Amino acid sequence: MSQLNRLPTSGRTDPSQIINFAFNGKSYQGIAGDTLASALLANGVNVVGRSFKYSRPRGIVGHGMEEPNGIIQLGSGAATVPNLKVTQVELYEGLEASSVNGWPNVNFDLMGIIGLFGRLMPPGFYYKTFMYPQKLWMTYEHFIRKAAGLGKTPVEADPDTYDKINQHCDVLVVGAGPAGLVAALEAGLTGARVIIADEQSEFGGSLLASNELIDGSSASHWVASVNSQLESLSNVQRLRRSTVFGYYDHNFLTILERCTDHLGLKAACGPRQCMHRVRAKQVILATGAFERPLVFAHNDIPGVMQASSVSTYVNRFGVAPGQKLVLATNNDNAYRTALDWQSAGRHVVAVVDSRSSPSGELVARVRELGIQVLDGCGVIEAKGSKRVRSALVAPLNSEGTQVVGAVQNLACDLIASSGGWSAAIHLSSHTGAKPVWDEKIVSFRPGESKQQERSAGACNGTFGLSDGLLEGSIAGAEAAHLAGFGDGVAQQPLPAVNEVVEQTQQTLFLVPHTKSTSRAPSQFVDFQLDVSAGGIELAVLEGFESVEHVKRYTALGFGTDQGKLGNINGMAILANALGQSISDTGTTIFRPSYTPTTFGAIAGRDIKDLFDPERYTAAHRWHAEQGAVFEDVGQWKRPWYFPQDNETMHQAVNRECLAVRNSVGILDASTLGKIDIQGPDAAEFITRMYTNSYLKLASGKCRYGVMLKEDGMIFDDGVCACLADNHYLMFTTTGGAAGVLAWLELWQQTEWPELQVYFTSVTDHWATATVTGPNARKVVAKVCEDIDLSADKFGFMDWRDGTVAGVAARVFRISFTGELSYEINVSANYGRHVWEKLIEAGAEFDITPYGTESMHVLRAEKGFIIVGQDTDGSMTPADMNMDWVVGKNKTFSFIGKRSLERSDSLRDNRKQLVGLKALNPNSVLPEGSQIVNDPKQAIPMAMQGHVTSSYYSANMGHSIALAVVKGGLNRMGDTVYCPAADGSVIAAEIVSSVFYDPKGVRQNG
Amino acid sequence: MADLAANNMIMQSPLHYLKGQYSGTVTANAELGLTVTEIQQGCYLNLRGKAADQDFAAGIQTILGLSLPTVPGTYHSHGSTMACWLGPDEWMVVSNHAAETLQAALRDALKGHISIVDVTGGQTQLNLRGSSVPLVLKKAGSYDFEAWSADGASVNRCVQTNFAKATALVSRSADGSFDLTIRRSFADYIAQWLLDASKEHGCLIQG
Repeated sequence: MSQLNRLPTSGRTDPSQIINFAFNGKSYQGIAGDTLASALLANGVNVVGRSFKYSRPRGIVGHGMEEPNGIIQLGSGAATVPNLKVTQVELYEGLEASSVNGWPNVNFDLMGIIGLFGRLMPPGFYYKTFMYPQKLWMTYEHFIRKAAGLGKTPVEADPDTYDKINQHCDVLVVGAGPAGLVAALEAGLTGARVIIADEQSEFGGSLLASNELIDGSSASHWVASVNSQLESLSNVQRLRRSTVFGYYDHNFLTILERCTDHLGLKAACGPRQCMHRVRAKQVILATGAFERPLVFAHNDIPGVMQASSVSTYVNRFGVAPGQKLVLATNNDNAYRTALDWQSAGRHVVAVVDSRSSPSGELVARVRELGIQVLDGCGVIEAKGSKRVRSALVAPLNSEGTQVVGAVQNLACDLIASSGGWSAAIHLSSHTGAKPVWDEKIVSFRPGESKQQERSAGACNGTFGLSDGLLEGSIAGAEAAHLAGFGDGVAQQPLPAVNEVVEQTQQTLFLVPHTKSTSRAPSQFVDFQLDVSAGGIELAVLEGFESVEHVKRYTALGFGTDQGKLGNINGMAILANALGQSISDTGTTIFRPSYTPTTFGAIAGRDIKDLFDPERYTAAHRWHAEQGAVFEDVGQWKRPWYFPQDNETMHQAVNRECLAVRNSVGILDASTLGKIDIQGPDAAEFITRMYTNSYLKLASGKCRYGVMLKEDGMIFDDGVCACLADNHYLMFTTTGGAAGVLAWLELWQQTEWPELQVYFTSVTDHWATATVTGPNARKVVAKVCEDIDLSADKFGFMDWRDGTVAGVAARVFRISFTGELSYEINVSANYGRHVWEKLIEAGAEFDITPYGTESMHVLRAEKGFIIVGQDTDGSMTPADMNMDWVVGKNKTFSFIGKRSLERSDSLRDNRKQLVGLKALNPNSVLPEGSQIVNDPKQAIPMAMQGHVTSSYYSANMGHSIALAVVKGGLNRMGDTVYCPAADGSVIAAEIVSSVFYDPKGVRQNG
Repeated sequence: MADLAANNMIMQSPLHYLKGQYSGTVTANAELGLTVTEIQQGCYLNLRGKAADQDFAAGIQTILGLSLPTVPGTYHSHGSTMACWLGPDEWMVVSNHAAETLQAALRDALKGHISIVDVTGGQTQLNLRGSSVPLVLKKAGSYDFEAWSADGASVNRCVQTNFAKATALVSRSADGSFDLTIRRSFADYIAQWLLDASKEHGCLIQG
């Protein structure tokens, strides 16, 4: 019999389905319905991990997401998942898991044997020990990480798919325990759109492990009936295995649904997990409560468990994790565990109750069964190493602060403890509601809500079943009503429950020892991070008072369990040490995520090629077919260069540049931003945006303009054409398109609404082919018969409508290369056709497609700036030696004009655009290089400016660069220096920024 | 007509090369979760003007045979022409007429401060139908499309919204399927996104 702790009663598991699994390399069997935790307990596995700091052996404590110790690595290879909790992993055939803590293994732990290590790690250990010398921190950290043994992330790419979907509902119910179920039913019956989410594999919450009767039959029967009612409502969406992990502003909540995790790594089909982004009109929180362990000496030995967890393993999973139970409690509720244990046929050694003469109904039932009740006593210490062997029990004073009598040793292998219940207020806290301490129930309650939400049941501090059902029912009807459904009155009769009356619990967190807290064996508060009661008291002695500071100093609540078991005890111990109340001490703030969330689910399917949209031009596929190498320009893919045969980039660019200057080249310029502007005030509006005037621009003409922000600094540039009276077409830079349109709309809508003008983006509508070079006219003439292309009829900076390759086209004589150029615009549906016809027509001139790199070189040869490369948001037109573009006599001001007259804009040592010619014609200055006057000057050297653009120019036969240099326009002929990081220095001469055809003859063609 | 036929020979819709593309593991006989069909429209015109201007409204009624919708998130249609509300003074007119013809007719009929912009080359339309359409729309963005079927005004609805990491003008046609009017440069991204998003249910871009 391998599953020695398996009971004949199966609870909600199915003993007929055997499941094989392995833990820490050893094979075991479990059954369908098991979690990894229940299966391990069934097999009598005591030690599941080692603690973070002291490396003490640790066993399973809880049964849900509160579990601090059973932290495992699941699977191996690319699909391995670190830091899962054994209590949350559903068992599947072939599951393989190992402890994340413990080195070399959990049962023989080198660190534990050395033992001394723990003594080296008092609270604030990192701060005290490893702060200096700083450079050794990496060494320390490596050692600590290894000792701590956190899980390992996979090194391969994640093979799984994750989904992300947006949901809307009228009522979101969080938690499908008794309160959540009735709430969802009431809301659902009104016809409201309802989502109910629960992190467990099945709905029912605490009822899944309950022996109570509802409406005369078992709790699970009632759950099944509500569940099927919900299922029949098409307006109710039920999400199982779904944790609501974040509650954000405007009732926006996030849910992590684990879709295939329970099926195993191999069975995965469809997305592994799905993140639901929910916008809910109303929210009902029914998240339940956590049992609070009592804090006593060596309470971390395997075999010390939560009382409710023991009951859950017995009732839900048919597993009794031990033989002889000692139950430590300060309340009536935990007596159920003694009853459950007894009915499982196991032995209850004693119930140790800190209250004197408890008299509740459950107490009476326990006494009737002849179980020994030691009242007015506490379990002050657990004995054992890898498993509890006995419990030290002693009488306490009535306040529970002192041991007042002889200590007795009770032999046992299981200590279940209960210190009462803490409402799960985490999600309510996410909304900003400040939790309120309630002395009566010894728990925080949700604070005043800042969102459209309410709490119902145990998470609201309402721990009784019938009260919880009532609250849920009211909440469901009310939430639906506020969302516009139903009359706000519950429709269903409340289920009948025979509730036992429970006596008041004692307010007790830390059970005293015969020795003082500082001298007693460690009384653990946070198991995962080894924070003890003594550690918290020490932090107070060292001067820490705020709960937030103590948390960070001791690491209380910092583990993957986020202190779900330890936080309240820790705060209570802190309050006691500070001599103040818990409500004065307060709690730390809970933030998302409620439980750990996979990055994969957050990323969803926005990965790899779909991470960011790729925008394509109409001729994109032609470029790809020609073997173009692409460059990202914003989201656009633009051909960077078109290598032929085995050309390097450098060779290809040289060839492309020479072709443009000597014959003809063709560029896909479709990505330039284009804005159609119409309205009686269009010219006036445009004139206010650009530095120069458009009031007299005639139809058929174009003009180059520069736009400034209010600070006078260049922000975009481009050509604007007058298409007709009151009708213009504005070109923007590729990257600036959306920003410029927003800028125009901003000024029109907020500052000058009286100007009648409309803007429409036409970027996508037009496909643009730029044919440029001395043979450009001959090429275009072959495919365009209805435009007179002669220089005197169609001059530089003119545009004409016509037909190109049989397609209606708008042709612009704009040039960014300084050569004779025709920019041919057609509706993008014909973009590729026209492109191919131009290539065909240009064949006899060896027409050469070129990419953005050659475009950059060609324009740099001409000294044309690229906004964003040669400017950086701190350059005025004058800095760019472009004073000619600023209209000085405009009647109305233009944006940025006033700033151009600030003394700082006018000072003469501003950085100004110049050309640089390296003294060695073959050395290309690195872009971004700093420029100095004296390379031998001691550091810090006086920086004179920097290189903004730099290339090798095949046309010039030497390298060229554009740079901004302080007062550079008055320094022509000076030699400056660019020191490199490797110690080398390149010397260059300051020259005009126009290297090629300085008179601009060629573009007029 | 000859011209139109010739035009069809040389024009390329943004997604012509994806026709027949299929994603998914669904066997051939199983019902497809999502069928995407790229629809060829005659033209797309962006229209600006004042809805309250009687002459403007009358001119639109004469030429398009419809009144411009003034309720946000709705469209009006007449024959093969539809006008979608984009803003208080902005509409997208989608029609089977040729852009030049329709634009000229509108220009003739409308006076004053208006704007008509041919954006035909910059748009395309995808019709989405199949059982996974509601799920795909939930994956695509945070707009509540479910509400369209829930409330009384469930017909003639449209919205310009985020679609994955691009944008789309989404409208629901009379037969319950959805049309996405999208920008040409984002068309490939949106198609690839659709193929991926409904892979588990099977997705075909119809040829």
